[in-house]
Amino acid sequence: MSTARWRAPGAPAWLRTSLGSTVARRLFLDRAVDFWLGEVDPAWSLTERRARVVSVTRETRDATTFTLDPGARWPGNRAGQYATVDVEVDGARVRRCYSLASGPGERTVAITVKRVAGGRASNFMHDHLRPGAVVGLGDPRGDFVLPAALPARILLLSGGSGITPVMSMLRDLAARDALRDVAFVHCARTRDDVIFRAELEALAARHEGLTLTLSHDDEGGPLDAARLTALVPDAFEHDTFLCGPEGMMATFEAAWTRAGASRRLRRERFGAPRAVPAGVAPTTVTLRLSRSDRSHVTDAPGTLLEQLERAGERPAFGCRMGICNTCRCTRRAGAVVDTVTGVVSREPDEEIRLCTSVALTDVDLAL
Amino acid sequence: MNTSTPSRTLSPDEVDAFGRELDALRHAVIADLGQRDVDHIRGVIRAVRYTEVAGRALLHFGVGPVSFALGAASLATSKILENMEVGHNVMHGQYDWTRDPALDARTYEWDTACTGDDWRHSHNYEHHTFTNVLGRDRDVGYGFLRVNAAQPWRPSHLAQPLTATLLALGFQWGVGTHDLRLSETLAGQQSVGELGRRARPFLRKAAWQIAKDYVIFPALALWGAPRVALGNLVANVARNLWTFAIIFCGHFPDGVRVYTAEETRDERRGDWYLRQLNGSANLEGGYLFHVMSGHLSHQIEHHLFPDLPAARYPELAPRVRALCEKYGQAYNTGGFRAQFGSVLATLARNALPRASDLRPSAA
Repeated sequence: MSTARWRAPGAPAWLRTSLGSTVARRLFLDRAVDFWLGEVDPAWSLTERRARVVSVTRETRDATTFTLDPGARWPGNRAGQYATVDVEVDGARVRRCYSLASGPGERTVAITVKRVAGGRASNFMHDHLRPGAVVGLGDPRGDFVLPAALPARILLLSGGSGITPVMSMLRDLAARDALRDVAFVHCARTRDDVIFRAELEALAARHEGLTLTLSHDDEGGPLDAARLTALVPDAFEHDTFLCGPEGMMATFEAAWTRAGASRRLRRERFGAPRAVPAGVAPTTVTLRLSRSDRSHVTDAPGTLLEQLERAGERPAFGCRMGICNTCRCTRRAGAVVDTVTGVVSREPDEEIRLCTSVALTDVDLAL
Repeated sequence: MNTSTPSRTLSPDEVDAFGRELDALRHAVIADLGQRDVDHIRGVIRAVRYTEVAGRALLHFGVGPVSFALGAASLATSKILENMEVGHNVMHGQYDWTRDPALDARTYEWDTACTGDDWRHSHNYEHHTFTNVLGRDRDVGYGFLRVNAAQPWRPSHLAQPLTATLLALGFQWGVGTHDLRLSETLAGQQSVGELGRRARPFLRKAAWQIAKDYVIFPALALWGAPRVALGNLVANVARNLWTFAIIFCGHFPDGVRVYTAEETRDERRGDWYLRQLNGSANLEGGYLFHVMSGHLSHQIEHHLFPDLPAARYPELAPRVRALCEKYGQAYNTGGFRAQFGSVLATLARNALPRASDLRPSAA
């Protein structure tokens, strides 16, 4: 369980070997060595990757970019991937997933965080995270990436803070001098809310192959499919990378489906998982935790994580949106549906994520 | 000691009200958990690490008896703090809300012979759920001591002043083998194969513990090996004696109740609280004493709220005590000398049978 929760990025090979048997390591040495490494430098650890904040840049009134030094063992990310970021807020670690805005091959990684009303992590980061601070950083993940063989025509379509993964792609394309037929369309509430505006405009001025369109909701309303095709007439012919708020995603997913081009649309979702499909999941099910020998009868709909927490359990969780895998556990019996993927899991001993799974029957969990 | 007035029997409504008031205390602390709790436990972990290095350095590089005594004392302090305030409390899940992997109850492994996994089962589950229930809580006498007249007397109990002394000297081995169920195996209630299965993780850990303190560190000291091995032994035994004393003071002084399985069959939450309260005893002392005991000096509060950070027990204690007065419940507390004296008297008294124990029908 622990290795699933905190995937060790690995110590240098010589140090691993010299630490000897796994029993000894598991028992004490990792713990002791980690303590003393942390005494020397809080960014040093054998058991997890820690990154130091190098710079903090205000992008807009509610978005800030944090540039992180992930250390020498950062495996490198592909353009468009995300990573988990851990910050400690009032003594408790909070884990969030952020798309990396930086391009591959850069020595630092950048995340751009939008301040969310009431958000524990985003407000802490805006108010307290300064250069020199240390955060936890997971491995880069996700398949919302530029294909190895670049498509001939690319449309990067984003809204709000959804710009970060496509910005990474744009930076990658610019660095590889591959901006030949790229349309970049970004929506923001106002002109002042456009993250990376100066850099976008500079790139557009420098590269003829890049067409930049910034759409502001306060000047003509939110972008829709009709206006998009007016801006980019053959939009559906482009390999499109879409990331934005839920409403925007739904609008363009529908448009691409209608145009019979959903094969060319790739999406990255952020935000809370979709609502529990009404009428599918029974309200009252028994959740049996076979490791701790406890059972709870649920009285309200919700994800397994919500139901367990309401019952007083404290299962490990992270992103609460089905990405980081922190709340993964073995479902021994019963059936659940993943509200993000729609996959129904009913085979014995399958791994599920509590935060996105809804019980369809009584469930037995290895917790 | 505050055991002169025994606890009043409460009506079912009173039991529920008592439970609700304790739940409210618990929720108030949970809502207030934050930076200061983390700062406290990390401060103790820092003390563990620095006293360990200081102790080992004095044993390895010091000359003469003064540095030996200081070194062994420093190392014993490190082990006591690690076992009591860090290990025991972290493994209860008191800091799981921090989601810090270094404070994770499920993976914590401590510097003693008992494996973390065995402890999580025998202590967190069995002992804290079935506290002082005869036949269910194997911590009542650990299967070979008679600590309450309600336990049937056996001739082997005559030797318990001696066996208790041996247990105190090697307490970590008693704790380490507790979940292997040796006495059950001897009594034919557990197969030898099952014993072997249970013993494997323990043997691995025990081998590592012995190697660490009596082979690896002494070898690093070259010709100073005997001094280092002896210093480590002194530190381990000092830790054993201290933990034995504190833990025995938690449940075995005069006035602590035991229960039968029958009595606890249809327990409500309030009943469970009452059993924890009447089955535990506190020790009075200063800040350092509480930290060195892992706050088991607040055994009552610990048993009521085993997963709240232990450093919160001193602030909870006056409120728990006020509730006890309100509901006419005894709050068993006293100084270390008085309580430990009471434990020794209990052990001595129960070594001998009462007349009723010797009647054939009782056997």
